Order: sequence, then structure tokens, then C-alpha cells
Amino acid sequence: MAIYGWTGKLLRINLTDLSATTEDSMKYQDYIGGMGLGYRVIYDEVPLNTHPYDPASKFVMAVGPLTGSGIPCSGRMNIAFLSSWSKGHSIIDAHMGGHIGPKMKYAGYDAMIVEGVASKPVYLKIQDDQVTFEDASHLWGKGTFESNQVITEECGRDFESASIGQAGENLVNYSTLNTSFGNSGGAGIGAIMGSKKLKGIAISGTGSVKVADPAKVKELSDYMMRELIGGNNNHNVPALPQSWAEYSAASGKNRWSGAPGREWKKAAGGPIDMGEQPCGDINKIAYRCLKGVFDYGDVASNYIVKQGGCSSCPIRCYTQYDMEPLAEYDLPTHVSNTCMPMLYGQNFYPSGLIDFKYEGDAKMIINGASSHAQDDLGLWCNYGNLYREVKWVLSTEEGKSHIPEAEWNSYPWEWEKAADPRWVVEIMRRIAYKEGEIAVIGEGTIAMAEKWGLGKEYFDSIDSLNQNVTYNGYPKHHSAEDSGQIGLLFNLMYNRDCMIHHLTNVTNSGAPYEVSKATMEGFFGKGSYDKMKSCTPMNRNKAKVARWAFNGKQFHDSATLCNWMYPMTQSPSKARNYVGDLELDAKYMAAVTGKDYTRESVEFDSERISQMLRVMTAISFNIQFGSTNLRQDHDGMPAWIFDKQPELRAFEEGTDKMDREDMELALDYFYEEMGWDKATGIPTRATLVKYGLADMADDLAGRGILPN
Amino acid sequence: MSDETKTGLNGFLDSQMTRRQFLKISGKSIAGLTVSATMLSLFGCTQEQVDSEQVVTWAMPQGLLVVNAAKCTGCKRCEINCSLFNDQECSSYISRVKISRNLHIHGKDGLLMGNFTYYPDTCRQCEIPACGEACPEKAILADDKGIKRVDNDKCIGCGACVEACPWHMPTINPETRKSSKCIACGACVLGCPTAALSIIPWDAVTAAAQEIVA
Repeated sequence: MAIYGWTGKLLRINLTDLSATTEDSMKYQDYIGGMGLGYRVIYDEVPLNTHPYDPASKFVMAVGPLTGSGIPCSGRMNIAFLSSWSKGHSIIDAHMGGHIGPKMKYAGYDAMIVEGVASKPVYLKIQDDQVTFEDASHLWGKGTFESNQVITEECGRDFESASIGQAGENLVNYSTLNTSFGNSGGAGIGAIMGSKKLKGIAISGTGSVKVADPAKVKELSDYMMRELIGGNNNHNVPALPQSWAEYSAASGKNRWSGAPGREWKKAAGGPIDMGEQPCGDINKIAYRCLKGVFDYGDVASNYIVKQGGCSSCPIRCYTQYDMEPLAEYDLPTHVSNTCMPMLYGQNFYPSGLIDFKYEGDAKMIINGASSHAQDDLGLWCNYGNLYREVKWVLSTEEGKSHIPEAEWNSYPWEWEKAADPRWVVEIMRRIAYKEGEIAVIGEGTIAMAEKWGLGKEYFDSIDSLNQNVTYNGYPKHHSAEDSGQIGLLFNLMYNRDCMIHHLTNVTNSGAPYEVSKATMEGFFGKGSYDKMKSCTPMNRNKAKVARWAFNGKQFHDSATLCNWMYPMTQSPSKARNYVGDLELDAKYMAAVTGKDYTRESVEFDSERISQMLRVMTAISFNIQFGSTNLRQDHDGMPAWIFDKQPELRAFEEGTDKMDREDMELALDYFYEEMGWDKATGIPTRATLVKYGLADMADDLAGRGILPN
Repeated sequence: MSDETKTGLNGFLDSQMTRRQFLKISGKSIAGLTVSATMLSLFGCTQEQVDSEQVVTWAMPQGLLVVNAAKCTGCKRCEINCSLFNDQECSSYISRVKISRNLHIHGKDGLLMGNFTYYPDTCRQCEIPACGEACPEKAILADDKGIKRVDNDKCIGCGACVEACPWHMPTINPETRKSSKCIACGACVLGCPTAALSIIPWDAVTAAAQEIVA
């Protein structure tokens, strides 16, 4: 029988004996792919007490049925492994865009399980069914940009490559795997690969993704692009007024930042104006996201060549800059990143920044240097904790006290005082090379807090540099500030920052609150959607929204679709009353795979993955700490969340501070939604059986942590 | 407006003549030509882009294909739409338009060469196609619109067309063993989110050209 969507094969790579074998991947179909497949494989094959850098540790790179199928924004890949840095060392994943995920499908694989340790540095070369292990001695010690270039030159320009940098080689916990230009998967995957002496991966594929109903795939893709897609983060109204648009963002700012008069000023052959990009016009969508201008204002245009991004996505969220001022410092001038590495370079400069060529360009140029250096070193930021902690060390007396004086004096401070971009590059280099005490930051917030004796109060403190949303070592990622209890709930659930954009995409869309509220309440009922920083007490509908977002993110990282764009909750179309289409994910699944997916069945399969995450987290916490209670030991929320802004009370307009009792109620409701024991936050047997995870229930029972 | 009416009105330029004129410059960029403001607007480009060789035009049977490298953002929707439309599956390798191979390393250019120069390669629909000339089975022939198509019944998948094409635009589909050669269907153009690819119908090109003459 023909298989659609999936390739039906996975690749098992053993680095110890340098073997590559294939296996049937359809046995994992219930887990969708990507994250779900990866979690199941790790659970089945890697005992959760395995040290992440132990030879017995594995990682699973996986894509899903939608990856490379032609569906817009389906270019992502998920990598599952055990965490080296967050509390409990439990299941975690990295996610990467670029183009390598679809290429893995075209080469014929839904997933790649990598195990063992090579005796010397190698990179993997995969050309359809030919898999070879190439010597990487000449690449060891090199940055990711050069490594990817050399690998591609050696293998051929039809290959997509991904490499680790020096951070991964040096087993820095905060390390990435980098592909294309500025696209990376983080969470410490660099060091997992480094521990296996695997420098990189190159993939070329002459095959295709077979889709059950190609006409439907094309029709749904066009429908999505004509009627549903907005700008970056699916913001559904333009930032500035456009003649066709009823609404624009009240603040004049959102991620649909392309507008008439705004340009790619450094485009080859002269400036290109973004013009208007009306709803329905497919050929103008890519001018909607002008991320550089969103980040830095109009001054950014002076350095923008064009926008880039991932395979299949018409929203180009990677601003590609040519920052010529960097040439003076012998740093690369062509830089591109869309997220955190592009935003916080200024944290390294307590003395402040100095403009380069245009008024107001300092922050952007410094971030050009820092993002390129970070990507080259393959250094991860833990959604900004790296920058926050560096700032804390460099600019506060308490932070500074943890750095030995000789080391402090060895920093090239003249560069810091001159706001020289080489300063941030040098500090990052020290972290990636584990040079000195400052490199403790690269081991993770938990390791740093332990080594420097910072205690629980470090996580509790009310300080803009403390964004830790749990005591587990990761910060909030669009939490209560965007969606009150809902955001905070799903921020607690993972073993890294949550990476869920379901709610922030709506609340920050720029559409009038009443318009978005009508859409959300239409989907989820009354009281399901609060105004930002104007939170109402917890209710059942909010718990349903939290469950939808939590499970939905699992779907996106399994299918794979980009969660920065999906779900299509809202629309820019006035004719649709700005209402999106939450059935779309299931419609894609049905058209691509030929199976009768419905929204219910997609959400059911996605929730299976949520249950696995919870079970594996419970087991890891039990192994590491003897914990029998995730509510207490994993989902605990630091005090700053409730005690910030002492002049305001929770639920008052203008604050996102939360109420302790109300959040306990929120956990009750959410656990009930998920079928978890209220006292411990651990899935019950009935819940696990319902999702076909009886073996996991038995495992919990065997460890004495299955709720009664 | 039909070609016939236009010829009657003006008696000087018609679409066929326009096409022939553009065929002469096909294969080169149109740098060096002075292009009227109307035509620039029609092509969605600027004189500066023309002068800096960002814009290449190819005379296709149904219109002028304009490729504007400065606008290409490397999303690959052209390859996706090509393969979904023509092959009923999604693939990069057998796509008739090719961006993937240019994206990361293309000579001294591409993302991994440290710059943002990349663009889609397209079939030129050559008047005398090297692919067709080289085909031992004479399987690549012009249809009644002048589009060179592969006759799958004749194609033996030998790859002579791939080798003969100076730009290696056809590809042998590894599964079907047939040459995937562009049939100027325009699926890539319809799906391009920046209009880096566009096809301007000959009527419109001719009308714009009339203005120069007038």
C-alpha cells in the first residue's frame, strides 16, 4: 500500500561501529512524527537515568508527514534528547528551520536515530540511500559557517548541511546545531553531538514527498495564503495603515511591519519598496514581514538586503543584512538571525553603545556582530538567560563578585568602553571555549546557581534580569504578560522554555481586542480571552485554551509546521470577520496522508505526546530527586511572578502579576483537563490507557509514582 | 485586446514581433537597454536593477518571463508548486525551476559563501532547444503554442537533455526515468510570494513597447 506524507523509513546511525541501517517508521504513526516520534524512541531506547553525554545516550532528528509536503511553513525539524542543563535531565527538544528537514524527507527518511560515539570527528553524508561517515578532523575547531561551507563544497551544492560549533565540541551545555544561515536548533544539541564526535550532517535527496491528494494540498495551501496568513507570528493586521485594510495595529507596531515607503535599501540593484500587501495577493506576502524594522525601527532599512527564512514559508522572517560598519573590525558584514541572538547584544555593554553610521544603528550593528558570533560558535542562549546572566555579571557588584579578579582584568575592557563589536564576540568566545569563570553561564542557569551558591532567592527575585518561570532553569517564553494564566500554565510544562506561540500571536496581532475576543470566544467560549495585562480570575474555558495550545504545539513540532505561524487562529480577511480556521491542521493531515484526520483525532494524537512528556518528566524527577510529585517539584512558580509590582494587585488593569491561589486553581483545572492527578500532576492510568500508553502507566506504577 | 486588433491599430508592432525582439536578447540580462517607465512598472523592476544585472528576461510562448534576483528570498515555493502541479508530489530535485542548488553555494555566491545572492534558475524555452536537439529519441518537441514538451512515450530517461542544456535545467526523475522539463505552465510564477518570478503576457509587453515607439 502506498504511503503518503511519511516516507515509511527511518535511519539508524551507530557512530561506534560506523553503521547505518534502515527501519520501518510506520510503527510510530500514532506519534505523528518529529517530537512525538522522538519522545517515543528516547523512552523506548534510552533509560532516563542515562547521562546525556554518555555513549548510551541518543538523539532523534525527526520530521513529520507535513514536512516538505508543500504546505506553507512546513520546513522544520525536531531533535529529541535528554537535557544536559535543565533540572531533572529529562526529555527535551531542539527545533530547527532552514531547509534541512524537507531534505531529509526527500532523501527518504522520517527520522534519524543517532547512537554511539565515533573514535574521531566525523560528519555524516547522506545521499538518498547512500550513507557514509566522512572524516571531520579538518573541521574540528571550526565555526559553523565555515564548517557548513566546507561540508557543502565537499559533498556538492545539492546538499543541505548542519554543523556544531566550538561550543558543541567543547561540551558546553548551551550549544546549538546550525544550518543554512542563522537557523539553529538549541537546547544543548551541540554538545550532545560533540560528545559523539559528530561535527555535522549533510543530506541530499532526489526523492519526493508523496501526497495523497496533490490538488487538495495545492488548494489548501493557496487558501491558507489567500485568506488566512498574516505577517510574521501570523499577526493579522498590518502595523501601519494600508488602503485595503480596515484595521492596522493601534500602536503602529507589530510583526506585519512591511509598509509602503519601507524598503530593503541595500537590495542588489537598489532599494525595493515593500508596498502594500493586500489580503488575497499571494505574490506580495513575502513583503509583509520586515523583521529588522520591527526590531530596530526605520534605521534598519539602511542595512537590509532582503528577507530570508525557511523552506516553503512565504513569511520571510530572517532579515538579511549587510552591515558594512563591521568590516572595520574584521567581522563578517553579512549577518542574519530572526530571534534572540539578534536582540540582546547590548547586554554585554554596561558602558553603553555608540552609533556607527546612522543615528540609532548601534544596537542593531552590535547585534549583527553578536548573532553571527553566537551562531558561528554554536552557542545557545536559553531564550535569553545567557544574555541576562552575562549582564548580571558584567554590570552588578553581586554578579561581578563571582569572577576572579585576574580573569576580570584579562577581559579586553578597552573594547567594552569603546562599544567595539569585538567585545561581545570575545566574551562569547570565552564561554564557548569554557575559558574562566564566566563560562559557568554556558553550563546553564541551574549549574550556575549551584556553583555560585545563589539559592532559591535567585529565581524568586523581582528583577528584570530574572525571567525564570520555574525553578528548573529556563525562562518564560510568552507567558502571563501575553495571556495570563493560560500562558503561565503552558510555560510550566516542558523541560525548557515552552516555545508556544498560540496565544501571543493573537494577543500581539494588532487587531482590536474586541475583534480577537470575538474570534477566541467563538472557538473557546465565554471568558476564554482576556485583554493583555488585564487578567480575569481563572475559569474552565481558559484551561481548555491552555490545553489546546499545549497539545497544538506538540502537533506542530511533530507534523511539522512552524508554531510561530500556526495555528491560523485569526485571518486578515474582513469577509471572514478576521476569523481563522482551526480545522486547517487536520485538513492538511487528511490531504497529505490520505487518512481521515479530524480536528479531534489530530488533537488526540497530539495529546498523546503531551502525556509522554509528562510521564518522562515524572520518571526523570523521580530518578534524580526521588520526587513523587510534579506539581510540587516541577511546576512550582517563583515568587516574582506573584510579588512583582507591589503597588498593584493581581487582576488589576496594567499588570501581569498573578495571584497564588488563582494559579493553584488554574493548575487544578488544567490537570483535570489533561487527565492528571490533581495532587501530583502525574497522568493517571486511565488517561495513559486511553492514549495507548499502558506501558508507561506500568512504568510509573513500578516506580511507585502512578497516582492512585 | 487581440494581437490582430492591435496590429490593425498600429500596424507596426505585434506580439509576435515583440516576442522575436525579446528572443534576440534572451539568454542575456537586459542590462544596457533603456527600458521605459511603463515597461519597468510592468516588469516590476527598476532601471537600476536592470543596469546591475538583477533582471533577466526570457521570451516564452505565452509571455515574457521576468526573473528578478534581487527579490528572491529563497523560500522554494516555486519548486514546490512546480512539482506539485507537474508531478503530483513535492520535490526539489525534479522541479523544473531550480533555487535549492543556488541558495547555499553558487560559484562565489550564496548563503554559505557569506552573501545573500541567490535566485531561481528557469527553463529558457529556447527557440532552438539544446535539450531537444540532443535527444536521441526526438522526444522533446514544440506543441502548437511553441512550448517544448517531453513526450513521455518516447523519453527513455537517458539524460542527454540534462547534459546538453547549458544550464542543466531538465532532470531525470529517478522514479519514472522520464525527463522533467519545463512546460511553461506558470505554477512557479503564480506561487512566488515576492513576484521575483513573473510572466508578462505578450499583449501587455507589446502595449508597453508601443509607447516607446510612439
